[in-house]
Amino acid sequence: MSAKAEALGGAGESKLSPQFHVAHHFDKADTQFDAGRMGVWLFLVTEILLFGGLFCAFAIFRSKYFPSFVEAHHHLDRVMGGINTIVLITSSFTMALAVRSAQKNETKKTTLLLAITLACAAMFLVVKYFEYSHKIHDGLLPGGNFTAADFASGHPGIFFAIYFMMTGIHGVHVVIGMGLILWILLRNQKSEFSSRYYAPVENVGLYWHLVDLVWIFLFPLLYLVG
Amino acid sequence: MSTSHAEHDHEHGHGSTNGDHVPHVLPFKVYIGTFATLLFLTVVTVAASYVNIGHTGNLIVALLIATIKASVVALIFMHLKWDHKFHGIIFVSALLFLAVFIGITMSDTEFRGEAEAIEAKNPVDLKDPFKAQRTGDIAIPKEIAPAAGGSAAPAAGSAAPAAVPAKH
Amino acid sequence: MANTATVDELGHSPEVQGKNYLNQTAGVWSWLTTVDHKRIGIMYLVTVLVGFGLGGIFALLVRLELLTAKKTIMDATQYNQAFTLHGAAMVFLFIIPSIPASLGNFFLPLMIGAKDVAFPKLNLLSLYLFWIGAVFMLAAIVTGGVDTGWTFYVPYASGVSTTSVISATFGVFVMGFSSILTGLNFIVTLHKLRAPGMSWYRMPLFLWSLYATSIIQVLATPVLGITLLLLIFERAFHIGIFDPTLGGDPVLFQHFFWFYSHPAVYIMILPGMGVATEILTTHSKRRVFGYKAIAFSSVAIALVSFLVWGHHMFVSGQSELSSAIFSFLTFFVAIPSGVKMFNWLGTLWGGSIKFTVPMLYGIAFLFLFGIGGLTGLFLGTLSVDLHLHDTYFVVAHFHYVMMGSTAIAFFGGLHHWWPKMTGKMYDEKLARVGFALTFIGFNWTFFTQFILGTRGMPRRYYNYLDQFQPLHAFSTYGSWVLGTGFLITFICLARSLKSGAPAPANPWDSTTLEWQTQSPPITENFEKAPIVTLDAYERPAEETA
Repeated sequence: MSAKAEALGGAGESKLSPQFHVAHHFDKADTQFDAGRMGVWLFLVTEILLFGGLFCAFAIFRSKYFPSFVEAHHHLDRVMGGINTIVLITSSFTMALAVRSAQKNETKKTTLLLAITLACAAMFLVVKYFEYSHKIHDGLLPGGNFTAADFASGHPGIFFAIYFMMTGIHGVHVVIGMGLILWILLRNQKSEFSSRYYAPVENVGLYWHLVDLVWIFLFPLLYLVG
Repeated sequence: MSTSHAEHDHEHGHGSTNGDHVPHVLPFKVYIGTFATLLFLTVVTVAASYVNIGHTGNLIVALLIATIKASVVALIFMHLKWDHKFHGIIFVSALLFLAVFIGITMSDTEFRGEAEAIEAKNPVDLKDPFKAQRTGDIAIPKEIAPAAGGSAAPAAGSAAPAAVPAKH
Repeated sequence: MANTATVDELGHSPEVQGKNYLNQTAGVWSWLTTVDHKRIGIMYLVTVLVGFGLGGIFALLVRLELLTAKKTIMDATQYNQAFTLHGAAMVFLFIIPSIPASLGNFFLPLMIGAKDVAFPKLNLLSLYLFWIGAVFMLAAIVTGGVDTGWTFYVPYASGVSTTSVISATFGVFVMGFSSILTGLNFIVTLHKLRAPGMSWYRMPLFLWSLYATSIIQVLATPVLGITLLLLIFERAFHIGIFDPTLGGDPVLFQHFFWFYSHPAVYIMILPGMGVATEILTTHSKRRVFGYKAIAFSSVAIALVSFLVWGHHMFVSGQSELSSAIFSFLTFFVAIPSGVKMFNWLGTLWGGSIKFTVPMLYGIAFLFLFGIGGLTGLFLGTLSVDLHLHDTYFVVAHFHYVMMGSTAIAFFGGLHHWWPKMTGKMYDEKLARVGFALTFIGFNWTFFTQFILGTRGMPRRYYNYLDQFQPLHAFSTYGSWVLGTGFLITFICLARSLKSGAPAPANPWDSTTLEWQTQSPPITENFEKAPIVTLDAYERPAEETA
């Protein structure tokens, strides 16, 4: 690819990603790209540990209030959760393809794929909205706000506390991700990305895949096994 | 300025061949294959949850499938398989530290209050914690009464326990 | 090398004479929008010093209140707020960012021969996040204070306290992001921007300690984030995870909190150890003894620090199994710490020690860290801790480590690098007086508290038994000496800014890279990108011959 970039760009500035230049403190573009990627991976570590706290709480309270968790998880909608899983996996797929098309200088295709990713993210949130409003309506709420009456076991409020915190923080990540995807979509429209410079697409992609990864664990734990 | 720079700095700001980042483009079929795998595993995990193999069994199956899915996403969609090894180390170390966090925390929550049962069987008189040793069925000479818990070397703490009741 | 002949007496070559990072652009706006790591470091420095002043004022108020056994100057509620704000300001506004964000930011790129950190804009963002967090904390002080203690334990913080807990915890939450981004930036910088020839084992040991610190910042801080978020939701919406009346577990909060905050103790001390290493080697003109041992002991401390958090919870009601495990693991921290201690002494052995001001701080660090570290072993011992827990013994112990080691190392580093940062020398005599009063006042204040603690004086008490009054009063007098010491140090440094003699490029005859450029450095750090051919503490052959 770099030979192609060279051919198109000739000496000095390239026609691909014309506004891109290597920041003065990096020796070459490759180092800058690697540094960015490493930074994002380290950031993903912090995300894993952030969610990790909630997974820890889940493990502890599931063991402590097992009957409550089993009973409460039957009140989650598996169909909606399943649909959302498929929606997110699809968005991850299109995101990965968007990175690929950016690598191959297919600007229009990148835009299209990013738009599909964005649409999937929006759909995820719509489904989430229906799930949430249903829970709120039934009084299936965290801790002190829990009002549903027909529960046999003692502490379903704790389950819903963890459910709302986990899916809520995950939802916030989806919203942030949508903002980031929109941002790179607009930049892509201005032909800023190419095989020569596509680091933002790649890095937003990494973030988006992590959002998917978290959901891959949330879905079975909360919806399927409780 | 540029003339006084060291050699490694010469290509600064220009897209020369050796300095540019060269993307590693995967074939399309890898992506579609991954996507299909993920969809298939989603169906499997939902289906498996309807098969009752005990709560622990279901949990293990669900986590196993989720881990496979997550690995596929990380290795292929996130390009970890072709990436620098160090990025993989970063990722795995996060999981490792998470395991430490959850594991050691559960060493508390799973075993809390276990000493209470033992204490209930052998009640300790707070005002005179060493009474049992003095009057109990095991005859211990006063001058080598062991320290609380009895695990520490008994001779070392011999004077202290004897002195405590005297103070009251 | 060609320029050697025309270099002026301070070591500046003609092209850059009169130019430096401070005067290349001017105005407040140029500072607020800068991406220069040196300017960001300076802004952090000013901020943490303000935080230190704030925490110091609360400290003096707390000590003043404890002068007598009953009410002295404030009522019990105000006292609770005073010690909380002292702790919160000192921990979150001063110690955690002190060395990494100020000295680290300034010197990390210089020491590896880079022009900047890997992500300069992110660096500026982290400074802004720090400021935003600080504003929320200050807002908490203004709008009703906080009286939970800096640890924000539930259920008091989540339900009972009527003070501005949410604002304070949100401030800490935001500052956590700042800390994460700084750590992330440092790790990537050290991996990607080392100058040609600057291998890992040629890095100054300060950078190894910053690397270890950054690992902790990245791995532990997110857990604090989720903890505080849960606390805020608990307080605002009663979600019940930490509330025993709703089936939650308040001890779980302590696990979450200390999973961050124990490693955070090493975020505080590791950079101090790094600074001490630089000071001890430079001012004794001796190559560091056991380079790799010190380097890897930093990383080892960082990793072990994640396994010992429960030693803060021996009396919390956690399981006996956990307590035993944590007590056992705690002793492992002593191994790398001991390795460091002996290697520092080995470095000094046979060196030509000059008792410059930084060296005085360096030696004070060894002494105070020795006491602070060894008393930590008492507290890590399960059976002993049951008696000493929450007494003044604990207070004295962590002040010896936090204040006696980290803050002393910070001020030592400040004196060590002051000529490089500002281009000015300071009045050595006055700085010595400041140091002497600090050192004497510190031991006066806090060694007394070891005695108080072993006699059973609990911490955080407003009124206390009359029998403790003489020792409390003695400790309070010490705090005045300590405060005077710091005041003189500040006056000394402020005076040097105004009227100090210009500093040469390398006043201490150090071997590390940051001294090979002008004082203060130019914006690009080095005129010529350096190519490293020697180890960090190795002198060129013609000098040693």
